[in-house]
Amino acid sequence: MDYDALVVGRGIGGMESALKLGDMGYRVLVVEKEASVGGRMVLLSKVFPTLDCASCIATPKMAATAHHPNVTVLTDSEVEAVSSDGGGRFLVRVHTRPRFVDLAACTGCRQCEQACTVAVPDEWNGEMVSRRAAYIAYPQAIPQKALIERRGTSPCTDACPAGIRAHGYVSLVRSGLYEEAFQLLLEATPLAATLGAACYAPCETVCTRGELEGPVAIRRLKRFVAERHYATADGPGVTPGEPNGRRVAIVGSGPAGLTAAWQLARAGYGVRVFEAGPEPGGFLRQAIPAYRLPAELLDQDVANVTALGVEITTNSPIADVAALKVEGYDAVLLATGTPESRPLGIPGEDLEGVQAGVAFLRDVRAGHPPDLAGKRVVVVGGGNVAMDSARTAIRLGASETRVAYRRGREEMPAHRAELNDALTEGADLELLVAPVQVIGDADRRVAALRCRRIELGEPDDTGRRRPVPVPGSEFDIECDVVIAAVGLTTAVETFAGALLGAPPAGPVDERTLQSVIPWLFAAGDLVTGPSDIARAVGQGRQAAQAIDRWLCGERRGLATVPDPLGVVDRAEVLARQKSHSRRESGLRPVNVTPRPRDFDQLEPPIGEEDARAAAGRCLDCGVCSECGQCLPACPANAIDLSMRGNDRSLEVGAVVLATGYRIFPADLKPQYGHGRFANVITGLQMERLLAPTRPYTSVLRPSDGKIPMRIAYVMCTGSRDESVGNPLCSKFCCMYSLKQNQLIMGVLRFAEVTVHYIDIRAVGKGYEEFFEQSKGMGVNFVKGRVAEIRETPEANLILRYEDVDHGTLAEAEYDLVVLAVGVQPNQDLGQLLAAQGVAFDDRAYVDEVDEDYRPTATSVPGIFVAGALSGPRDIPESILHAGAAAIQVAAHLESLKAPA
Amino acid sequence: MSRDIREVVRDEPLMRDRLLELLADGPLTVPELAAAAHMPASEVMVWLMGMRKYGYVFEEKGPGRLFEYRYSAVKRP
Repeated sequence: MDYDALVVGRGIGGMESALKLGDMGYRVLVVEKEASVGGRMVLLSKVFPTLDCASCIATPKMAATAHHPNVTVLTDSEVEAVSSDGGGRFLVRVHTRPRFVDLAACTGCRQCEQACTVAVPDEWNGEMVSRRAAYIAYPQAIPQKALIERRGTSPCTDACPAGIRAHGYVSLVRSGLYEEAFQLLLEATPLAATLGAACYAPCETVCTRGELEGPVAIRRLKRFVAERHYATADGPGVTPGEPNGRRVAIVGSGPAGLTAAWQLARAGYGVRVFEAGPEPGGFLRQAIPAYRLPAELLDQDVANVTALGVEITTNSPIADVAALKVEGYDAVLLATGTPESRPLGIPGEDLEGVQAGVAFLRDVRAGHPPDLAGKRVVVVGGGNVAMDSARTAIRLGASETRVAYRRGREEMPAHRAELNDALTEGADLELLVAPVQVIGDADRRVAALRCRRIELGEPDDTGRRRPVPVPGSEFDIECDVVIAAVGLTTAVETFAGALLGAPPAGPVDERTLQSVIPWLFAAGDLVTGPSDIARAVGQGRQAAQAIDRWLCGERRGLATVPDPLGVVDRAEVLARQKSHSRRESGLRPVNVTPRPRDFDQLEPPIGEEDARAAAGRCLDCGVCSECGQCLPACPANAIDLSMRGNDRSLEVGAVVLATGYRIFPADLKPQYGHGRFANVITGLQMERLLAPTRPYTSVLRPSDGKIPMRIAYVMCTGSRDESVGNPLCSKFCCMYSLKQNQLIMGVLRFAEVTVHYIDIRAVGKGYEEFFEQSKGMGVNFVKGRVAEIRETPEANLILRYEDVDHGTLAEAEYDLVVLAVGVQPNQDLGQLLAAQGVAFDDRAYVDEVDEDYRPTATSVPGIFVAGALSGPRDIPESILHAGAAAIQVAAHLESLKAPA
Repeated sequence: MSRDIREVVRDEPLMRDRLLELLADGPLTVPELAAAAHMPASEVMVWLMGMRKYGYVFEEKGPGRLFEYRYSAVKRP
């Protein structure tokens, strides 16, 4: 048996049972789902009727529980299964969530909390103030250690093939930490501005805000931080790693090659990049039109790489990779992409006026555009190169630009924005056609493109419907120029075909990107086939890690692609709020106009104010944004984002259920306006305002921070109320309200306090005297229910109420209203317990089946209940009840020892 | 408060610099700060109390029996 007893719940009842059993010598495990032991009592201001400090009573018990030699406490943990072994013992499974903080190392200094960029409502302070995603629950929490609330990986971060922590930099921009955001981007790639301008932003496709009025402009924020950095800083602000004596050659300076070079240089490798073209950038410079990616942005990104000492040798096509090895490079990475267009494969392709798409784009970017003025252009293909070719042709003055594609519009692989922009600029679509011949004139110049109509058949291997030619449907599109953009291919045969095989299914290991020759690696489109910039960046990171591991046997400080937690459910994110206000991005839209004639960048830059506002639309899906600010802030290096949860299977001799009660959700009485009127608060919120560790400066109005002079209490909110299905008295609301009345009159000496009540239930030692004392202090008592609460323009509150003593209906105006909310049964473990045969009473409290003779015993031998889980109890009663449970457990445990 | 509390709280990092800028000229009450920021006082209250909790602002009592708290920015290096 692992433990004699399992106590579920760490409130005053759970702690009392655990301590009593521990004192008796039994080994006890306390499982608590929250981050601290202590329950609600520690959050109270004082206890009634003695007005002793609640924390002063609770915290010694908390400390005793945490440090008792016979008591083990598991916080952040939940019991997921309980089953009887048939012999009076129980098998339990406990799941512990990760805190992402090493408890042994954390000193509780709260530096992580100060650095954290995500603000969420502080549930420990009645959601009247913020806390951070990295936090310590409250000042008296035990353990006094931080934890990080991570609900999963945010969809944007999860969707980024480059492994960029998108949520992280959005959060940093929102906080005005622009340089930190830039540095977070640099952890993944030096191509911050490039991605900010030209990435297709899969992050935005999955952004939860897209379910509302539109996604956060994640990509444009990236461009903002990059441009801001480049405008103010000299160099990337990153120093290369200590040289490790290893050299790596990288062939190709596209996104994969540059990213790998950056990562390896940061880790101390000597890196040289060989670029066949006259300038670095590969496909980025040669084929992406300037209106999407201006050369200056790319130049700034490339300068990040060279700033770390990476040498880029241009005009250097590599024909023999083995020679690089002979030259002394320890590893070679091929990242040459897919620089060639696939041919159309039809007669007439050699006519003058037929051009490959990539070659066409390359000529234009190199400053050698063909003369298309007044010419009719047909672009064959439906991908992004086809769209770029069409839009470029329009800019060069083509009189007519048609895009011929063999499937329908929905099947076009081009990014939707690219397609739509092409159409806006004046491209026409010729869908469901396949070229069969380029027709030439007498001078062998293009005169027309002969096409055949297509019907779509059954889906092929890619899931898209297969194009089926329609016999006899040939027709000619008269044109002067045909641009072939039907796919891209590698140029690998020029240097390494024998080594790599036929891409994209080349024989490199998917994980390590290592070829059959150990020193030779490959990454990017060369491996995957044509993809996009972000995927190529991700491949570059992956290759750098693999090379580092192969050469040095371990990770040497390389920024690794994060190991995702599992993406958070977007529906769950939206459900965290009762309502979402509409919040437009406010950014100027991309300036796409018909028939453009220049290559100026279309997307306008965004300013600081717009950027922060755009970032402010983020919903913080994962809660923690993974911005990483807590990591350097922690002086103890205690943050560990790789931490994961664990499950324990244990055998115990008895179970004590002590999960307490639930507070009635006051918004279920909409006529009282809680959640709508700022100055209607609950009794628990008032407890926090009165506590020494209060969220406000004093007892203040939430609407405007003013001191309330007229305060009303509305008793029996959610209890003794059939309209909300709870006819039971919650037993302690009267007394905690009286206590608060007295405390308020001590704090706000000129305040008037009025209690609207049905009757005051002051049943307990000293309780009636406490009531009389409240009256004596000047608290007004008005007998009768409150019908409704209205709000004035000044955020004051009009109570319409029944005055039973005077037989009238009346109204009164107050500055602040406190709803004395009742309690409900806690059904967190309901299904689990019901499956074990634990009985509940008709109000869903755990049933003590023989309350007179065996109090705390449930319907299942060996399972006991302590405190308010079996019915409303105040603190002294809960402690007594928990003590009784401990004795019952002891008797049960001893019975297990007795001979049969 | 018309907006969900989670939404309001989430704006605290966004609003912090603006509020601190407004407090640079001297202490303000919550309604004064809200008027200057053109934001609802109930939301400014949430942000300001969060900023107080994390050491960005501090309070002082105003004059008179029925005083109001005024808030100042904590000077940071």
